[in-house]
Order: sequence, then C-alpha cells, then structure tokens
Amino acid sequence: MTLPKSASIVIIGGGISGCAIAWNLANRGIKDIVVLEKDTLANGSTGRCGAGIRMQWAAEKNCRLAQYSVDFFEMANETLQYERDIEFEQCGYLIVAVNEKEAEQFKKNVKLQNSLGIPSVYLTPEEAREIVPILDTSQFVAATFCQKDGHLNPFHTTDAFALAAERLGVKIFKHTEVTGIDVKNGRIGSVETTRGRIATDIVVNAAGGWSKAIGAMADIDIPTYVQRHQVLVTEPLEPIFSPMVMGFSYNIYIQQVPHGSIIMGRSDNTEPLDFRTTSGWKFVEEMTKTCSKLLPALRTANILRQWAGHYCMTEDAQPIYGPVPGLEGMYLACGFSGHGFMLAPATAQLITEMILGESLTIDVSDLDVGRFERRELVFEHSVV
Amino acid sequence: MLINTGIATQELIKKLIPSPERRARGPYAMVECFQEIPCNPCSTSCPFGAILPMKDINDIPTIDLDRCTGCGICAGVCPGLAIFIIDESKGDGTATVTIPYEFRPLPEKGETVRAVNRQGNIIGDGVVTRILASKKTKTPLITVQIPAELVYEVRFLNLIDDKSNSEEPSSTYQSVVTDDLSSKVLDTVEIDDTAGTENDEDEIIICRCEGLTLGVIRDLIREGYTTVDEIKRISRAGMGPCQARTCGPLIASEIARMTGQPIAEIQPSAHRPPVKPLPIEFFLGGDSE
Amino acid sequence: MMYEIDLAVIGGGPAGLMAANTAAEAGAKVLLLERDGHLGGQLVKQTHKFFGSEEQHASMRGNDISTMLGDRLGSFGERVTVWKSATVIGFYEDGVITIDHNGIYKKVKPMRVVVATGASEKFLSFPNNDLPGIYGAGAVQTMMNVYGIRPGQRVLMIGAGNIGLIVSYQLLQAGVSVAAIVEGLPHIGGYAVHASKVRRAGVPILTSHTIVRADGAESVESATIAEIDRGWNVIQRTMKTIACDVICISVGLTPLAELLWQAGCKMRYIPSLGGSVPLRNDCLETTVKGVFIAGDVSGIEEASAAMVEGRLAGLEAAASLGFKSERYCEERNDCMEQLAALRSGPTAEKIRSGLACAECR
Repeated sequence: MTLPKSASIVIIGGGISGCAIAWNLANRGIKDIVVLEKDTLANGSTGRCGAGIRMQWAAEKNCRLAQYSVDFFEMANETLQYERDIEFEQCGYLIVAVNEKEAEQFKKNVKLQNSLGIPSVYLTPEEAREIVPILDTSQFVAATFCQKDGHLNPFHTTDAFALAAERLGVKIFKHTEVTGIDVKNGRIGSVETTRGRIATDIVVNAAGGWSKAIGAMADIDIPTYVQRHQVLVTEPLEPIFSPMVMGFSYNIYIQQVPHGSIIMGRSDNTEPLDFRTTSGWKFVEEMTKTCSKLLPALRTANILRQWAGHYCMTEDAQPIYGPVPGLEGMYLACGFSGHGFMLAPATAQLITEMILGESLTIDVSDLDVGRFERRELVFEHSVV
Repeated sequence: MLINTGIATQELIKKLIPSPERRARGPYAMVECFQEIPCNPCSTSCPFGAILPMKDINDIPTIDLDRCTGCGICAGVCPGLAIFIIDESKGDGTATVTIPYEFRPLPEKGETVRAVNRQGNIIGDGVVTRILASKKTKTPLITVQIPAELVYEVRFLNLIDDKSNSEEPSSTYQSVVTDDLSSKVLDTVEIDDTAGTENDEDEIIICRCEGLTLGVIRDLIREGYTTVDEIKRISRAGMGPCQARTCGPLIASEIARMTGQPIAEIQPSAHRPPVKPLPIEFFLGGDSE
Repeated sequence: MMYEIDLAVIGGGPAGLMAANTAAEAGAKVLLLERDGHLGGQLVKQTHKFFGSEEQHASMRGNDISTMLGDRLGSFGERVTVWKSATVIGFYEDGVITIDHNGIYKKVKPMRVVVATGASEKFLSFPNNDLPGIYGAGAVQTMMNVYGIRPGQRVLMIGAGNIGLIVSYQLLQAGVSVAAIVEGLPHIGGYAVHASKVRRAGVPILTSHTIVRADGAESVESATIAEIDRGWNVIQRTMKTIACDVICISVGLTPLAELLWQAGCKMRYIPSLGGSVPLRNDCLETTVKGVFIAGDVSGIEEASAAMVEGRLAGLEAAASLGFKSERYCEERNDCMEQLAALRSGPTAEKIRSGLACAECR
C-alpha cells in the first residue's frame, strides 16, 4: 500500500485513541482518512496498560466520559462487527479506602456516581470480602464497588477499531513515522513521514507519549510528559476473584483477567520520565509486598513476566482535548495520564464532534490545552 | 563423497598407503583425517616426531613414516578416532589392524570377532591379538588379525552375537547395515503419499503454552499481522511460561517464509524478567546474610 | 541485602569456568553463578575426547576438563565464591542481577559481568512433534551421560552436525540402536571423522533428507522421512517410514541471550552464529559497558573456542578493574592467537564471517 498524496484527515498514532477516532470519523462518512503509526498498532501505552475500565471517579467529567465508554464497550463486538472478541468482562472494580478520610471521600464519590446513574455501592470490609474472598479485611476500612466496571483486551479492542475503520476505507500505515508537519499561515499544510508526504488540512495528534514531539514539529508546546509505569503478570490460575481490586493510598491495582493470569501495577513518583520500557527489580519487590499484604492468598502465584509502558501525563492528570489556539487544523487527543485506554470511545466521539463542528456530547471545553496557561487545572484524585 | 556419506573414498585411502618397502618393514599409522578441522593432539603426541608439527591447527596431519614406529600413541589420543595402526610385516597372508574401540564389553584376547569395513558391513572374521586399554585416554586399542588383503578395509569390529547375549544392545545396531540406502534396510513401509501437505502442517503445535497451531499463526500472517509482537498480542503466542523460547523463533521463521522478509530483520518480542516463573512470596524473602 | 563483587560470571560451563579462573588468577574477587547443582555445564555430559589443541585440553574428555577447571577454582580460596543451583532471573538496567539461589532471592551489584550462559537447542516443527519420545539431543545426552538412562531402543537422529553425530555415537555406546541420521543439508555438517565413526558402526547418514512427520498412538512408534530438493521441498515419492521409539532432534543451537537482551545490549541476528548475538569489541565487551560475553552466548562454536573466549573475557574484565598482571599482554595475545587458529580452517568459514558482522567499534 503506497502512501496517498493527500488526505482529508491525518491521525497520528495507532493506539486505541487514534484507531477509535479513525473509525468514528469514518463511521460519520468522512473519506480519505489516514492513520500513521511509527511501529505496530497498540505498541505504546495501549498495549502495555493494565486494561481496566471503570466509572468510579471523583470528578463528574471523568464519570461521564467513562460512562459513555462503558456503554460503547458493552456493544462493541456488534458495533464494530468484530469476530474475535474484545473480551469485555464487567466483573467490577472494588476500590478500598485505608482510612476514615478516604472513606468519607468514597461516600461522596458514590453519591455523585449514583446521581449520574453509575451503580456503585459503598461497602464495609466484610461486604467487600463477600465479593473478593481473599481480601485481608484488616488492611482497609471501607470499599466501593461497581459491577459494571471491568476489563477489556487492549490488543483486540484496538484491532477491532482498526479493522472496522479499514472496512470503512480508512488507510492505516504501520511502520510509518511522522518526521515533520508543515504549517503555512497558521494552518496545517501537510505531514511528512518516513514514507513520503501527505497534504492535509487536519491533523489529529493522538500520539500519546510522543504527542509533545509531534506538537513541536508544528511549533506548538503541548504540556505533556511521559512517565514509566510498570506491571507484572502471573501464570494463569483457576478463577479466584473477578473484580479489579484497587487502592489509591495502597498504590495498587490488581485483577485476575479472564484468561486466568493476575495482572498488577502500581505508581512510583521516582520512575524515570522517559520512554524506556525496561522494568526494575524495585518494582517487583514493592509490588509483591503490597499484593501479599492486601491479598495474602496470592503469595504462591508464580510471576511470569514484568514489563513497562508509560503514561502520557499532564499536570492535572487529565486529558487534553480539542483544537490548538493559533494553529488551525490540529486537534489534540492526548495527555490521558493513564486512562486513555478506557476513555477511547468517548475520546473518539468528542474529537469527531469537534472536527465536524457539532455540539459536544460531554462538555470538555475546560479540558483544552489552554487551561495550563490559564492555570485552570482540573484535578482528579482517584488515580493510581 | 566423504562429506555426504561419512565414508572415505578409495582415492583418499590410496593416498595414505605407503611404499611396499615400508609396508614390509613393520607397523605404521594410517591417519584417516581428510578434513581441515581445528585439531592437533596427534602432532603433539608422537614421541618420535613422526607426525609433523602443524603450522596451523587446521592443517591435515602429515606423517613421516620413516620415523613412525606404529606405537599407537596417536591412535589413542586422536579425538576423531581416525588413526589406525597397520602391520603387514608378517608376510604370512595375515595382517593386523589396530582399532580405537570405545564400546563395552571389550573383546578378549584370542577372541574371534567380526571384521567390519568403513560402511559398517561385515567382511570377514578376525582374531583379537592385543588389547591396550590406556587409563589416560580411556580409548582402548584393539589389535585384530585379519586376512592381509582386508587390511585397508577393516576399520571396526563387532562382537559375535551369542557371546554378548543377543539381548545386549551393544550389537543390535549390527542389523542396520547398508550402503545404498534401499528402503528395506530401514524397515520402511509403504505410506500414503498425500501426507506432509500444508494442511497436515497446519495442525503442528507452535505455541505449547497456549496451544496454538501453525495454521492459526499462518492465518494471522495472511491477515497482515507480520511481526512477532503483533501475533503475540492477538493470539497470546509467547505470553505463556516459556516466554516465547520455543515459539518465538518458529513464528519468526514462518513470517520470513511467508512474507519474504529476511529473518534477520524480524524483531523478536521483548525478553522480560524473571527468566523463569517464581512465586510472589519468593521476592518477599530475600537473604540477610 | 545487595551483594557487591568485582566480577560476576553467569554460567559455570567451559567459558564461565575459564573466565572465573582467569579473573581470579589476575586478582579479582569473583562470584560464579551456576544454574545447575554442579559445575561444568555441557562439559559434564561430554564423554568424548575434545578437539582443538592442548591449550584447550584437546584429547581430554569434557567431563574430566570440567572437574579439572572446577578444582582449580577451589585453589583461589576466598577470592572465588561459587553459587551452585543459582539461576539469574533478571539483569536490570542499573546493573543489578537478581538470583534464585536454592530458592532464596538474592541481589548482586557486580562491577563487571561475564555472561557465559551458553545456548539452547533449536526446535523443529513437524506434525506430531509433541508426541512423547521426541527429545532434543541435549536431553538425550543428559539422560544417558548424567543419569545413566537409555532414552529408548531405537533412535532416529535428526541433524548431522557435530552434536547429532556425537550423540548418535554415544547412543551406540550406551547400547541403543540408531536407525539413521537425517540431515537436511546436502552434506554432513559435523566433522568427517565423527561421521566416519558412526558410519562404520553401521548407522546410515541420509543427507538432503528431512523428517516429514512422527506417528504413534501414545508415543513415537515411527517417523516418516523423505528426500528434499534444493528448495527444501519434500519429494513425495521418496517418503519412507522408519520404525523408532525415539526421535532425537539436533538441528542446532541458539545463543541463550535473554539476560543480554534484558541488560540492553545491542543484538544482531547472525544466522551463522546461531541467532541473535550481542555486538562486542575485541575485548569481548558488549555495547553495555562492563558486560562481557564468552562461549556459545556470543555465537555458537565448539567448546574449545568457548574456553579461550572465557579466558579472554575473564582477563579483560579483570584488567578493566585494574587487575592486570605483567603477563596481561602476553596472555591476551595468546588468547587472540588461539582463537584465530581455531577459527582459521575451512570448517570455520561461516563462524569467521558471522563474527565479522558482530564486531562493534
């Protein structure tokens, strides 16, 4: 497949966001869409993530974005006509609070979530243990649970969006790296790649960790940065527990995925701020310590592999959506700070609406790139 | 050809046969080493300097038969068991050949054995006249008296079956002796010649951890998943306990075969710690010596 | 706790043993890590006499060389620590090595590392290759020469490289019949003298042949083989079935380089060296400073070359820490000369061209 000379829209990044945006735009009848991926699909943050999907957030906006996405994923195999299976299991998220202060916040969260139609519940440790019998109840004071949260196969989901997009005429170029963006009179002119140049009016920057570098090619500063995050996985085991267990103070997310393996990850502010995907021994030591405290029965599970990816972070750990002031034609869908995978259907819908000039399903005008300069940050505290 | 069959040709052997005078004079070594390989113990082992020093360790040994006494030290040392000691000096129609023989049981002195040629065929009988079992080399040298005309043929010996008890396997391979490899000798049976088709191959298990067949991998490659990582992500090939040790190279070579990409350019998937599965509690312990 | 040491040698085979001995000799404190419960690696199963020259202990048997080198290590007293049953499980970017030592988690931060992890066997895919009775040549050698167990009654050997030939010979020595040796190439890959040894013992060597499939109800009962053309396509009419209860696969080795990948060494796929190998300079140092290589992990060769490489890597790793005797130059030159000699013949042509591609700087 040769690179076309021109395209109506060039989407940079073949992760979940780029592929979902491409499909969504094509589904609305847009022709001549091109997706450029420097490696293979889902090779960046998407393919390395913990793959959880949750609607239990502290900020209303995130609840709504997640809610939109969960609704989409529930029907995604059908919507995208995907033959394999995106493996969306609504096995729930169980989030533990380790002190009264956190428990109070959780009560507020549940109230907000319920008001939006998210069926989360507040639980005592004993009630939580009925859902996840291997929890050590002495390690937390309360929990919240939402059955409709769950887990999704990131590779298959990206694959599903990509295949559906291709059936609608989207051209996806793997192993094609963007090397430059031509801007004329404040407008996008063309995109240069390792395989040639494509003239276009519109560029969607969905390059995740590389979004800053892509911005720089058009002389704009996108205030994102990358941070390494590590994950480990055990061998497949008989079903033990199904929800994603999460603790913000505990600094853990852990889940037995449908295949039987247990995946767990944590955050670490000392992690390097670069693209390396090597993993460290300290992570394994810390992770195993936390895991065996909260879920002691897992001590005998065999670790198979550790790996790393990166979060594309912003200062307030919230995404950047929308156009760039002073540069006509560039749309940003980046800075997801670890949640881009689960928000992808909403991202795709919102970017499509922005490009088509429609009113937004969810008002994300405050998540624009300008908020950092205006110092109008939108913090979300329920993150690992 | 030697490199096709493992059998030295007559031309190669003829070059090693010394003059009639030397043959009549007494025992000498026949160094049946025809290939330049990095090996030189024979040349440094000879106490008489008969095997000439090598300029290059890959040189083919050169023997000075004027100095060779046929002592057999080189025959015991040679890692290739390629040196034989010939003695035709008796002149009574018999000769002896000394064979490095690393099988058990050893024959006994005076015992009649089967004389075997380079092809593995029995070509006569011989009588064991001497056994030298060196403790240093652990390669016994068996001297066998045989008809003189067979002295350039006999290079191995078989014990006679009933002595070593036919159940004893040291002689079972004697039945598989063949030169032209006709199918009979190999216990072959007629088979359906539709076997071995692509469909048959599609059933081959490639990823044992996840139970994936070659057919599944081929389908994915045809669909455009042409890197090891893409196949891993979609199919889980290589995500199991063996960490793609077995399936990784097989998948890479199948990609190379089907897409025409050079295999050197096909990236393997990342190699992640730990190299073997270990329980979570293992990492909690640690030593405090 | 975190152990600190001058040099960690990973792998106690021929290369690792030589590296540890040489570095200790030079004065470095050495930790030798061996996965098995005994030192020697593949040497312990090599009951045949070695090739090479006396410097590489030619004409000695592998198992005897292993004992000798292990004993020599003991002579360095506290300068050398040997951990047996110690599997290195991770080699991290900060230079830390994590180890499973007899079930105990340990961490070492060495100043220098010699990776001498050897090789693993390549596998072959053919229908029913998961039937019981199909083994790699290494497993067969271990069964016979370490545990004294015959793998079966009648073996079909796949591969006429040196390992295939030697293991066939050792099978015969163990009293197991070898139905045939099947080789895909049009010629025997191993040394002619090894081929002659098994040939005169009655084992046919079938070049330009391949295994088509294995068959059997519960375990291997037979194998179908066939001639192949130059494009490695099976010539249908030449198929024949051979009765056997063991199929032994000896189609080559590939460097066991996982730890080098983990450490971040630049690797290159070089077919004539067996697979992906680390780029290295003439001190056998990889692109990751302080990480040296020796033996099969740097490219598949004979044990004789592995031992010299081990010596060179041990010498250079120690020298880079300042442990440099007045004989350093002499020893280095000696290693270089021995390696050049071992690699100078026509049988080493592929190795020479492969190594040229693996050089850096």
